[in-house]
Amino acid sequence: MSALVVIRPSGTKIRVREKTLLSDALRKAGFSPGLYCRGRGVCGKCAVEILEGRLPDHASGEKEILDRAGLSDRYRLACRHAVESDMCLRIPEHALPGRISVIEFGPEVALPFDPAVKKFAVEAVRAADDLSELDSLFHRLGTAPLDVPLDVLRKWRAVVKSPGELITAVVGEERTLIAVEPGDTTGRVFGLAFDVGTTTLAAALVDLETGRVLSREACLNGQTAYGADVVSRIHLVLEKPGRAETLRKAVLSDLAGLAKTLLSSAGVRESEVYAAGIAGNTVMSHLALGLPVDALAVAPFASVFSSLSVLSASESGLPFLHSRARVHIAPNIRSFIGGDTSAGLVASGFAALKGPALYIDLGTNGEIVLKKGRRLAAASTAAGPAFEGMNISSGMLARTGAICRAEAEGDAFRYRTVDDAPARGVCGTGLIDIVALSLEKGLISPGGAIAAPHKILPLVRGLSLNQKDIRELQLAVGAVRTGIRMMLEAHELRSRDLKEICIAGAFGSRLSVANSVKLGLLPDVPSSRFRFLGNASLSGAVALLLSDSARRGAEETARTVKHFSLAAQPGFQDVYLSSLEFKNWS
Amino acid sequence: MERDELLSKMTDAVINGLASEAQTLARRGISLGLEPTDIIDRGFVPGIRRAGELWETGDYFLPELVSSAEAMKAAMAVLQPELEKSGARKENRSRPRVVIGTVEGDIHDIGKNLVAALLAANGFEVHDLGANVNPERFLDKALEVGADFIGLSALLTTTMLGQRRFLEKLSEEGHRGRFKILVGGAPVTGQWASDIGADGYAENAVAAVSLCRKLMGERT
Repeated sequence: MSALVVIRPSGTKIRVREKTLLSDALRKAGFSPGLYCRGRGVCGKCAVEILEGRLPDHASGEKEILDRAGLSDRYRLACRHAVESDMCLRIPEHALPGRISVIEFGPEVALPFDPAVKKFAVEAVRAADDLSELDSLFHRLGTAPLDVPLDVLRKWRAVVKSPGELITAVVGEERTLIAVEPGDTTGRVFGLAFDVGTTTLAAALVDLETGRVLSREACLNGQTAYGADVVSRIHLVLEKPGRAETLRKAVLSDLAGLAKTLLSSAGVRESEVYAAGIAGNTVMSHLALGLPVDALAVAPFASVFSSLSVLSASESGLPFLHSRARVHIAPNIRSFIGGDTSAGLVASGFAALKGPALYIDLGTNGEIVLKKGRRLAAASTAAGPAFEGMNISSGMLARTGAICRAEAEGDAFRYRTVDDAPARGVCGTGLIDIVALSLEKGLISPGGAIAAPHKILPLVRGLSLNQKDIRELQLAVGAVRTGIRMMLEAHELRSRDLKEICIAGAFGSRLSVANSVKLGLLPDVPSSRFRFLGNASLSGAVALLLSDSARRGAEETARTVKHFSLAAQPGFQDVYLSSLEFKNWS
Repeated sequence: MERDELLSKMTDAVINGLASEAQTLARRGISLGLEPTDIIDRGFVPGIRRAGELWETGDYFLPELVSSAEAMKAAMAVLQPELEKSGARKENRSRPRVVIGTVEGDIHDIGKNLVAALLAANGFEVHDLGANVNPERFLDKALEVGADFIGLSALLTTTMLGQRRFLEKLSEEGHRGRFKILVGGAPVTGQWASDIGADGYAENAVAAVSLCRKLMGERT
């Protein structure tokens, strides 16, 4: 026998078999019931109002949860009751955490909400129970026994005083009891997400109760003072092993600084931050965790770890979190294709795209991931620091005063700078525009030679580009183009077969697609197929905090992506040399 | 066709990187009875020299330079047997010999390939060992062919250390004086070359050819 369920406010109607769990019926109708506690009837977030139809009796403990949430007698938990006959119900908005969106730019990707750490308020154990106090807590939480650090039990009596009082259990990943706190603190559970980039560090403070990103901060990675790129940092450590600790401290103190700013402006205490998600390239994650990097120095560039189990704040050396906070590290894929990529792939929902699709992260090391059918392949390509303006005579990072865009205005170029400040230098995106415009005007040949005999392209007073600058850009563009071309060829695809091209990274987000296509950096496909992800690595770190499917997805991606070694491919040199010319793909 | 016009066409074929045309012109030169040494010295060599100059002025980049080297190589494939036939074998023997490779732990070899191609185009006998070459292989090959030069390439600051290791090995085994050791690659500098006691460093393939020429001059 089936029953009709009408769901308000949308008025959606669905017919389900009798005895179907109400939460299953909602899910079937396309709603996302808030199964924060995974249907154990503990969290109260799936409460619905029964408008018509039989009102079932409360399940055990249900009334207390609904009362505590201030819900009337007509509410029931969708995870505790089955559909018995036709009914009409309403989903209150506050009871629907819904689906989180983590990508800042472009079409949003929805991931099911299931945070890394959850809080549950329960009544302290009654004296009459003959179970141990801990087992009684597990019983109330509706879980199998959790891992409990001894420290939690030592402080037990300071928290669990008299029976009937509310206490809050802080549960990580459904397996660990992180803390027990007096009173109901369920609204106060936060996480910090970090993108540990070679040049820039970014962080976000996340409310793990609502899934909202509260604020973001970024700063320069203090390790840049010791060396601009990952290889030079490995080199420093190889020369003098003690420097590993120097580099580690440099990045950890910057992360602490970001955390401090975020927490103090939001009025959140360190002890309320129970989880961190960290995404960084392979070398950054190794250095930050104090792991050896020597094997990453020479071919075949092996990392010590790919996936790590969840760490605690104290063992990972992050003193600005709750000491038992759960630290999730985005898994490294292979050699230089690191956690920033696995995080970005998850945040962009790349693995679920129909494809063929391409994911590109343009940096000193360019990561390229191709999806064809159900398979994923990844390659890294040594683009060098031109996109970051580092090996360009008048180059600089995209900071105040950097020429970041250029347009033709008659015979002259008009420049836009970061913060509209007076021009101090040129960043990667500005370089792309200037060179594309110069190519159009015949100031540069497709082969890259500057036409003027003195081989200088003047920009504004005091700033110019020289021949070597153009050559550096050619090498960077050529490296990316070679990577994409060889990946496509190996998978019997042409560039026009690509249905979607996801571009990660701050550089990518400020890039002119038209000019990148003109230079041959990006394939010549309709601009609607490009999707700009912004800091996908940070979005991915946020996703690790908020979604169990993101955590599992990152692991699975890292495990199943096929590594495609460009340099090992026959014909690499020919493709590279033929990719150095500035010309579009068609 | 006028002899001079033919020679200047040969020069142009190399400058413009036209391999099959260079080969056709080389054959025509032989069939017209020109001396192989004349064809090389007055037809093709000026072309590869000019390509080098264009690189130095910034007009040429890697693709143009490689095409020129390949055109030169194509022409030499025709001319080499003729040289030997015409009794220039002795001269052939005296071509300077270079053993070249990318050091152990490094798989990047485009730059090294370019140096090898340009040296070959300029008349050096080049033995290219490829990438990820350990010190033993460098030394064995150099001893086997009686190399004048050993070229060690490294693209990473981390693998650059392999250049120093090779020099240490040479000294330990008492072979240091036998070869001129040249180092190159993106992170390598003249300072590094002198720090580790190498005989020379060149910033790019064109400079590498000049360097080898200069060092050959010192030898004789």
